[in-house]
Amino acid sequence: MPGSAGVVLAGGRSSRMGTPKAALEWHGSTLLRRTVGILARATGGPVVVVRAPGQDLPELPPDVEIISDPREGKGPVQGLAAGLGAIAGRAEVAFVSSTDMPFLHPAFVRRVLRAVHEGADVGLPVARGHPQPLAAAYRTTLAVTADRLVQAERLRPAFVFETCTVARLDEATLKTDPVLAALDPGLDSVVNINEPGEYRTARSQPGPEITVQRFGVLANGSAPNGRRAPETVRAATVAEAAAAVGVDFGAHVTAALNGDQITRDGQTPLAAGDTVFFLSADAGG
Amino acid sequence: MTAGGYFGQALVVNASTGTSQTLELPDELLRAYIGGAGLGAWLMHHLGPPGVDPLAPEAPLAYVFSPLVGTPLTTSAKFAVVAKSPLTHLLTDALASSHFAIAGKLTGYDAIVVTGARAKASALLIDHNGARFEDAAELTGLTAAQAGTRLRQRLGERLGRGWRVAAIGPAGERGVRYATISHDGRHAGRGGLGAVLGAKRIKAIAVRAAAKVAPADPNAVLAAARDLRERSFGPATAKYRELGTLANLLAFNAISTLPTQNFQAATFDGAQKLAAEDLAAARQVARHSCASCTIGCEHIYAAKSGRKTRVEYENIFALGPMCGVSDPDAVLAASARCDDLGLDTISAGGTVAWAMECAERGLIDAPWLRFGDADALLKVLDQIGAREGLGDLLAEGSRRAAQRVGAGSQNFAPHVKGMEMPGYEPRTLHAMALGLAVNARGADHNRSGAYEADLSGDLDRLDGGDAHVAAAVETEDRAAVMDSLILCKFLRGVFTEPFTEWASLLSAVTGWHVDGAELRRTARRIVLAKRVYNLREGWRPADDWLPERLLSEPLRLASGREAGLTPARLRAMIDAYYAARGLDEQGQPGPAQLADLRLSWPP
Repeated sequence: MPGSAGVVLAGGRSSRMGTPKAALEWHGSTLLRRTVGILARATGGPVVVVRAPGQDLPELPPDVEIISDPREGKGPVQGLAAGLGAIAGRAEVAFVSSTDMPFLHPAFVRRVLRAVHEGADVGLPVARGHPQPLAAAYRTTLAVTADRLVQAERLRPAFVFETCTVARLDEATLKTDPVLAALDPGLDSVVNINEPGEYRTARSQPGPEITVQRFGVLANGSAPNGRRAPETVRAATVAEAAAAVGVDFGAHVTAALNGDQITRDGQTPLAAGDTVFFLSADAGG
Repeated sequence: MTAGGYFGQALVVNASTGTSQTLELPDELLRAYIGGAGLGAWLMHHLGPPGVDPLAPEAPLAYVFSPLVGTPLTTSAKFAVVAKSPLTHLLTDALASSHFAIAGKLTGYDAIVVTGARAKASALLIDHNGARFEDAAELTGLTAAQAGTRLRQRLGERLGRGWRVAAIGPAGERGVRYATISHDGRHAGRGGLGAVLGAKRIKAIAVRAAAKVAPADPNAVLAAARDLRERSFGPATAKYRELGTLANLLAFNAISTLPTQNFQAATFDGAQKLAAEDLAAARQVARHSCASCTIGCEHIYAAKSGRKTRVEYENIFALGPMCGVSDPDAVLAASARCDDLGLDTISAGGTVAWAMECAERGLIDAPWLRFGDADALLKVLDQIGAREGLGDLLAEGSRRAAQRVGAGSQNFAPHVKGMEMPGYEPRTLHAMALGLAVNARGADHNRSGAYEADLSGDLDRLDGGDAHVAAAVETEDRAAVMDSLILCKFLRGVFTEPFTEWASLLSAVTGWHVDGAELRRTARRIVLAKRVYNLREGWRPADDWLPERLLSEPLRLASGREAGLTPARLRAMIDAYYAARGLDEQGQPGPAQLADLRLSWPP
């Protein structure tokens, strides 16, 4: 969405998980890699990861900006101050996410961002029984407010909401978006994982259902009509999608996501309803 | 001593007098421009009178060979035809691959230049007896293929075997501004070179080998040839080998990059009917290779009529989606008609698509001409080839035709600098948008391969910026070297360090010690030489631009994202391109750059 950006707050201690959540394996990728990929897709703008000073992060795409939180241990409002501050001037709105939501869907992100584009200062989902301040959209000018609150040791997101216009998006409201209702009917987007058992349960689920189509020499084959017909597979990344249909995702193949972004990065995350086109990288002629 | 692979001389034939002379090409000059398109650009600077009408007798036309021609290096049997274009009034060079390149070079010259004009239809013969003309009245009106066959037969009976003939079709004879020159079914297609030859009343040029030339290091060349041949069988060329360039069509449609109905859309409902993935199984009857080529990209399809036609993405795009025609037999027939008439399919399709839109808007009186009407497409192609009725206007190309029709039709005339656009949608390919805008030849996908970057996944193809500018410069430089060595661009994917590897090939052939850095400087020199020629011939900064439609009518992708290209973004990319090329804000070079071009030769 024009004027939008993504902020991922990755600096939590992961104390209940016992291992850094950002680096948890996710279908051949990592949780953090997935989150930044979803935000990049949904916003079309810059994506900033806010980490604790000295915190190791898994490998991320080169265009992801990483900043270190100057004030450690001050919680999400400090993360908001740092992340929104890093975006200010380059985007009007940022979707702010924690790193531990493996089912976050781009349609959810876009729906929530729209609340701020339509006039609110914060788009706050209220789903699965709770407000979701770390799956919410914020006007980037709120960086100043967040910073002031941290200095006053008022460290809960609710204090931010007291200062501005908040659009509370309950489940019914969210599902008025037909795309979101179709692709994430259970609002799994807000599911976060905090303990090893939750991670194992989430990880054991099959990847999202997507459609794959091959073109050119990749569609040549001995099957009736070659291998041209679209196929439905379950895959959480482009690499998984390629493997599911027997495409060698090497130097001479690219993938186009929903007919739009083209990538060679196998870790590019996929979400339910996506279409992946596998193309020959040699496009001359 | 002349370097290996060269004769060190060009033959300059005056068609008006029937005489010829030799132009010495010193080593330093050859090293500076290599051959092909590069050397051709220098020859036009040197031999072309400034401001000349491209169809005037004084305008030179050059067949330019290269040091690699005649070696066993795969895809090297290519020649460039270079002249001032009657379509753009700027420099044009068009490449073709065939045995004409080998026979032409072995006449003993690195280039054959023709100036002047004949009084009657003639054929130019060049062999060990030198250059001379003979009457070609009996060839008039024939297709290029028919003329080539007839002339070879005639010469064979009288003078013996070994002749190779490049000829023009009826469109070239009648001055269609996008007429081609053809040999053996291969076309020097873009820019109207066939019209230049037609204006000289030269129906055909026949060449026969008369000399030998050896590479400096035959063993090294042989080893390189073996290695390159092996690599040419690999995955980098699989697309060309297995399906040919038509494999682009369905993929481009899927990613909204297939120009449709004169760029009114970037997807075509009928794309599936024209897809190589389907048609190859149903219609392909043969696969051929050019001379000295191991890739074999020529895919020959048979229409229901039985007529066999070589298919490429560009001819199917231009005569299919661009004109809204989805019947594969009709598109194959239209392509065959262009071959018979000697028409560049891209310019023909683009100009006809513009006319179809004009007709639908009521701007021209041709109610029979509608998008999707295959019969109308064939009818108007015939009219263009004959310069009859509406065809006389359309034979001028979309820019001139739009200037005459007016009424806002210039805004959707699909050209850059007068040359019609190839099948790459600039609004969804921002690096290519820049490449198309700034290229010396005009809207052209062979002198700028910037679409490679757009489709690589390394940058956002809808968000043009510095990376796109860098890609446009790099691919333009690579094309300049490949077009001068000459090597086929379908081979480009096999090189991992292209400039270094190309330098190694050139060194083995010539005996020079060329490295990648020198070849990069050579590339920039060739690109600049073309620009400077255009400056001399009246290029203006406004010519580096795209059609208004592409800058004011955004597209909507299947993903929901809007794909547009604003004038401000294009301007910023062009400014950055000028800076990267060392040009000033008006696209002009400085004195040091001009001195490096060696335009005043001998010094």
